[in-house]
Amino acid sequence: MGILNVLVTVSLAYVLFLFTVAFFADRSAARGRAKWLQSPLIYTLSLSIYCTAWTFYGAVGYAARSGVEFLTIYLGPSIVMIGWWWTLRKLVRIGRSQRVTSIADLISSRFGKSNSLAVVVTVIAVVGTTPYIALQLQSVTLALEAFAGDVAKTSGGPSATTLWLAAGLALFTVLFGTRNLDANERHDGVVMAIAVEAVVKLVALVAVGLFVIWGIGGGVGPTLERISQSDIARWDVSGGRWMGLMFLSASAVLTLPRMFQVLVVENEDERHLATASWAFPAYLMLMSLFVVPIAVIGLEHMPEGANPDLFVLTLPLSEGQNTLAMLSFLGGFSSATSMVIVAAIALSTMVSNHIVMPIWLSAQGSTAIVAGDVRHVVLLSRRLSIMGVLTLGYLYHHTTGGGEALASIGLISFAGVAQTLPALLGGIFWRGATRIGALCGMVVGFVAWAYTLFMPSFGPEVFLSDEFLRNGPMGIGWLRPQALFGISQGDPLVHSIIWSMSLNALAFFVGSLVSFPTPLERLQGAQFVNVFDHSTRPGSWSRGMAEAEDLLVMAQRILGPSEAQSLFRSEAASQGITGYLPETTPEFLQRLEREMAGSVGAATAHAMIGQILGRASVTVEDLMAVADETAQIMEYSNQLEAKSAELTRTARQLRAANEKLTQMSVQKDAFLSQISHELRTPMTSIRAFSEILRDGGLDEAALAKYAGIIHDEAIRLTRLLDDLLDLSVLENGQVSLNERIGRLGDVLDQAEAAAGIENSRLRVVRSRVREDLVLYTDLDRLAQVFINLISNALKYCDAKRPRLEIAVRDLGDNLAIDFVDNGGGIPTASQDVIFEKFSRVGSDQAAGGAGLGLAICREIVHRLGGTVSYLPGQGGAAFRVLLPMTVVRQNRGS
Amino acid sequence: MGRKPENPLFLERQRYRMRRIMDAARFAPVLAAFLFLIPLMWGAGQEVPTASALIYIFGAWAGLIAVTAFLSHKLRKMPRDNWQERP
Repeated sequence: MGILNVLVTVSLAYVLFLFTVAFFADRSAARGRAKWLQSPLIYTLSLSIYCTAWTFYGAVGYAARSGVEFLTIYLGPSIVMIGWWWTLRKLVRIGRSQRVTSIADLISSRFGKSNSLAVVVTVIAVVGTTPYIALQLQSVTLALEAFAGDVAKTSGGPSATTLWLAAGLALFTVLFGTRNLDANERHDGVVMAIAVEAVVKLVALVAVGLFVIWGIGGGVGPTLERISQSDIARWDVSGGRWMGLMFLSASAVLTLPRMFQVLVVENEDERHLATASWAFPAYLMLMSLFVVPIAVIGLEHMPEGANPDLFVLTLPLSEGQNTLAMLSFLGGFSSATSMVIVAAIALSTMVSNHIVMPIWLSAQGSTAIVAGDVRHVVLLSRRLSIMGVLTLGYLYHHTTGGGEALASIGLISFAGVAQTLPALLGGIFWRGATRIGALCGMVVGFVAWAYTLFMPSFGPEVFLSDEFLRNGPMGIGWLRPQALFGISQGDPLVHSIIWSMSLNALAFFVGSLVSFPTPLERLQGAQFVNVFDHSTRPGSWSRGMAEAEDLLVMAQRILGPSEAQSLFRSEAASQGITGYLPETTPEFLQRLEREMAGSVGAATAHAMIGQILGRASVTVEDLMAVADETAQIMEYSNQLEAKSAELTRTARQLRAANEKLTQMSVQKDAFLSQISHELRTPMTSIRAFSEILRDGGLDEAALAKYAGIIHDEAIRLTRLLDDLLDLSVLENGQVSLNERIGRLGDVLDQAEAAAGIENSRLRVVRSRVREDLVLYTDLDRLAQVFINLISNALKYCDAKRPRLEIAVRDLGDNLAIDFVDNGGGIPTASQDVIFEKFSRVGSDQAAGGAGLGLAICREIVHRLGGTVSYLPGQGGAAFRVLLPMTVVRQNRGS
Repeated sequence: MGRKPENPLFLERQRYRMRRIMDAARFAPVLAAFLFLIPLMWGAGQEVPTASALIYIFGAWAGLIAVTAFLSHKLRKMPRDNWQERP
């Protein structure tokens, strides 16, 4: 009797202590002094709700029954944590960017904010978690019974104890789990309390373990010796179960609602994951380190028929270590309560957001959003949900009466919630996953699980008759629940995992392949799968009929007046509007929806805004508007860049044109002055001599001489004007070419003759063989060029024995005709300008040219498709005429 | 034009190291799964004492924890924005 009183007192003191911790944690968080609350250590410890009373008590029982197999339950989560970079990091990032409140919310949000999907996940979670809560209640009751012997039964019976326990847990959860509405504001008090409980259970188990090894076993060596002599001395684990259980526990750590709550929803900083990735496996390792020694020594020391599930408690008790036993009880109590509290919070959020609120909203009609105090309703519905969840757990425990081995309920529960795994992983890694696929997969998997595992687990004659179990429905053998398709695996759990998970995955995959996602699904899919690339926000509302005032009224009901007003005011300010009513831009609506999603879930928030906007779904145009936003900005910036480049180009062109115009103006002036000068010289002599003739008194000879001079000057004038005319025609491109066939040699002969070589001292050297080419071009014009070049040599070659060599060369693409004399050549400085109009080397005008010859040559050759240039370094003046090979029709020579 | 490509071909040494550490973090769970599945090979015929099995599993576990702690420590020091970089 005494020990029970002490136990009750200690338990109550412990509970009071937890209340105090939670209260102060909440208060300091509210005051913003919660830095230490948000450390990675607290985060890691809060994950320890994975280790429930099932772990604390049940693992030893499990080990006593099946040996090392129990380790799979810890190895699976360890692998997931070690692989945080793959999955958890992404989940946490999505959870934070989408303001996810639960696993149901995440899946619903990913698949187009579908509430039906959220309902399915919620149902799976409730069905899967209720037995688990019952299990916790049962374990605490069992522990209490073991402690107090029969005393507990006399003071109201185990059932009453369980009821009190459930009520107490409900009270604690309501008090600290529903203090604030926004799930993303986190439950600092609760998290702190479960972190403390995590320490208590670890310390308790380690203490019992140390006592068992050193107090009873006699040290590590002897204990290992005892293990080798025990019933579980041999490694005897079936491969299927080893793998199956590892898979199951790995998926449980992702899909269990309570694990999702602490991993994703309560996560404060992504970097905490980095610490938890090794610290949580270390915690799990410590928790399981002493399980086998405790089991082995318990089997050895405890009487036949003692419940191995309670060895952690009964072993110290039987050794008279009451304090240690008390600590052990508190450890188990902590395990059970922390799990129940978090599970109740997680489940109540889901039930409230996805079942109660939608029903309430539709019952109220669309006016309700503006009229009712939604905040209050949400809180109330959550509180009721918590009580409902715990009531369900209690009822489950009461109906089944406990009695089953703890671990098997736990594994059945794991297998149930694991049915959300394909939708969850598919949703975050595969863009092609659709709502229909997720729905099919989860429903099929859940049904398969219920049929092959859950219902048979109650034993024959509860849900399924013995006949049904043995021979299948209506005697159809291949539908037997524990041997689907005639494949009897032997182990019903592995059988169920294989079938439910593969059918689930298959249905999910096929369903996704054949269905077509809505625009919102596709947008959300892209944002989930590429969460590390996208920083854009989810959602999408086009500027609609929404009145900012209506929205404010609604937001006040959900977020609370001050939060809603400050949100609206800051938005208005960012839009440059004073007051509380911003423009209802799509960005603002997205932001508002996100804020509200933190309170009531994504699907409900979307639906509520949809009601005010007058429609609950998005159009493709909306989506495109949102999705293309970035693309548009980029395109705009590209356009700007292109325009700027174009402007630079234009400016450059204008500058060049301006320069050219200036040059041309200078050239024109120079040209005019040159031409006046050139015209003036012959005019002057014509005038002078015609005056002499007019005055008379001249003899015949003088008369003839002066008339001859006038005639010569007039000819020179005419030639100058002819040249000018010719040049102008050529420069304007108005010249029409008279193309015909002819031999190059003939053209050169003709040019030589026209230039008057025969009567001069100039000796022309030619290679007749090389000139034997047939050309198709304007031969007269070509001859004009040749005449010019030959006359130049004639006029300017200052050698004593002038000599001109005309050489024809085949340069591949071009035909080169070189005119090289043996004179002094042209000074380097002048070589650039000799082809310009009126340019003459030196100052002598003796040759009588106006300096237009080479300019004309250049124009002509240009028209013929070639070039004429000065060839330096040939020992005299050298000009090269290049003609394209295309003018050569036939190569008779060489 | 003028924009930095998202996944440049060549990285400076430090960023290159960082990415290899990310690769290692991705590989760690594969290694863990492999180590924890080795007991499957102890199957029939071979009598493995539970004590040895425990020593192996806990040894492997502790080793993996140490490796993960090392990698996480490196990754933690990196600015969070870099976490999104592709390999």
